[in-house]
Amino acid sequence: MNLFKILAELEQVDPEVADRLNSRRSALSALGNISKKITLASAPAIIGAAFNKTLAQGTGSPLADVLNYALLLERLEAAYYTRALQASTAPALATAFSGNATLRTAIEKIRDNENAHVALLTAALGSAAAAAPTGFNFAAAYTDLPTFLTFAQAFEDLGVRAYKGQAGNISRTATVAANTSVTVTNAGQSSTASIGGANVLQVALQIHATEARHAAYIRYLRRQAAYATAASGSIGNQFGWITGKAGNGAPAPVYDAGNPATTFPAEDNVSQGGLNLTSQLAATYTAAEVSEAFDEPLDSATVRSIASGFIIP
Amino acid sequence: MATPHQSPAPDEVGFGSQLLQSVNRRSFLRYSGMTAAAVGLVLAGCDDDDNGGSTPTSVNLGSGNVGVLNYAYALEQLEAAFYAQVVATPYTGITADETAALRAIARHEAIHRDFFKAAITAVAPTGIIGNLTPNFTGFNFADKGSVLSLARTFEDLGVAAYNGAGRLIDTSTPAGLTYLVLAGKIVSVEARHAAQIREFLQAGSFANDVVNALGLDRALTPTEVLAQAQPFITETINGSNLPS
Repeated sequence: MNLFKILAELEQVDPEVADRLNSRRSALSALGNISKKITLASAPAIIGAAFNKTLAQGTGSPLADVLNYALLLERLEAAYYTRALQASTAPALATAFSGNATLRTAIEKIRDNENAHVALLTAALGSAAAAAPTGFNFAAAYTDLPTFLTFAQAFEDLGVRAYKGQAGNISRTATVAANTSVTVTNAGQSSTASIGGANVLQVALQIHATEARHAAYIRYLRRQAAYATAASGSIGNQFGWITGKAGNGAPAPVYDAGNPATTFPAEDNVSQGGLNLTSQLAATYTAAEVSEAFDEPLDSATVRSIASGFIIP
Repeated sequence: MATPHQSPAPDEVGFGSQLLQSVNRRSFLRYSGMTAAAVGLVLAGCDDDDNGGSTPTSVNLGSGNVGVLNYAYALEQLEAAFYAQVVATPYTGITADETAALRAIARHEAIHRDFFKAAITAVAPTGIIGNLTPNFTGFNFADKGSVLSLARTFEDLGVAAYNGAGRLIDTSTPAGLTYLVLAGKIVSVEARHAAQIREFLQAGSFANDVVNALGLDRALTPTEVLAQAQPFITETINGSNLPS
């Protein structure tokens, strides 16, 4: 990657870019020790944020790229739950769902949320919305209920990390275009809502939290014997949060470090803001406790790479 | 240095006298038995003597990014104190799963609280708010439904608070961007807590009534959040200087 070339190109569309980077550098040098570590770790995000304020408008802008990336993941999740609930696309799951109304209702609720996210992001992007991929391939995940839940956990936890990794790339002043509305279907009922003027960063955080609720629900469900998978062994020990970087049968890369690892550490990370939280706080805490207390972001290239196995481009 | 176990260190003296004062000040009789003693310990346990032994009646969160950090710190203090009490006096009929989960959540919230204290002290040693005094007067920690319902309220409120505060953080500085990322790292854990607590209350209710038709979790302003948190905090929290 040629950073100077990228900067030169950016200067053509954003003449003030050099000035703004300079002011950031002086701000950086004025900071103390702890902040410096933080600063270096988040440099890529800073560069992204420095640009997106002026480049946010129009197709192919950094903001549109972020939202299209989110849209791709939401499309994947929406398709995952939609097909799982249909006997025609997931015959091995049909009996499990028909015999468990509470579970079926919960999975339908997650599906509705994911469909709503797709509709919302598509509407927010307007003409900048990317085309959907050709298709998805979830055959390996639909073999039985425990396997379905294992991958559901993986997609939800991955989604949480993906949104977290983009928070710094969304300008806090970016808003959805006026007069934008979106139609969604929940529990079979359609409704239309206006999202014109909505703050994009806040909406992203609201989606992020919903994904975390899904992830926690699926994780706790898998704690119960009835949903534990023979393939990955008995779960029996996980709650809604991530201990260390335990996926309990979900693909390990979902919980591993991204690139760069300093900015996107593995889920078992115990250092925040330059402090090792097991030993440098007012009390001592175990590595497991500290890892549970903070979720970690993941970069888009790593997320795309993990998701690509399920996407037919 | 003197031999171990001799006289208490200055910190411990402060700790003890402060505990005594706080119990006197808040009238021991307002609390009942074990609960009263445990509440006092919870408060003293996170005290760092920086309020000079007198409880301020009003706490100003301040402005800018430090104000937003203090806002989060105040909420984490409240959550940590609540769960410390839940763990100290488990409700009647608590299950093994609930015990394990509530103990874990208590640790997570204590970590968040201690982390904010360290982080804010590092960047704004004179701007950090002191230790708040939670007020659970009249709350029945022995009743399962009451405890889990209030836990759900606090977790849902915490999620909505972080969701609403993200755009209030000035990310034009590297430090500001770091704060936003850190808030993101914490808010999803609060959402996981909320979903977990909700499962204890009712299976499949992880997103009921707090996730809207668009699949969005709530986002509340500091004013809205503080109005809900204030009844559980003795000091009056002033968030009027926070960014909006």
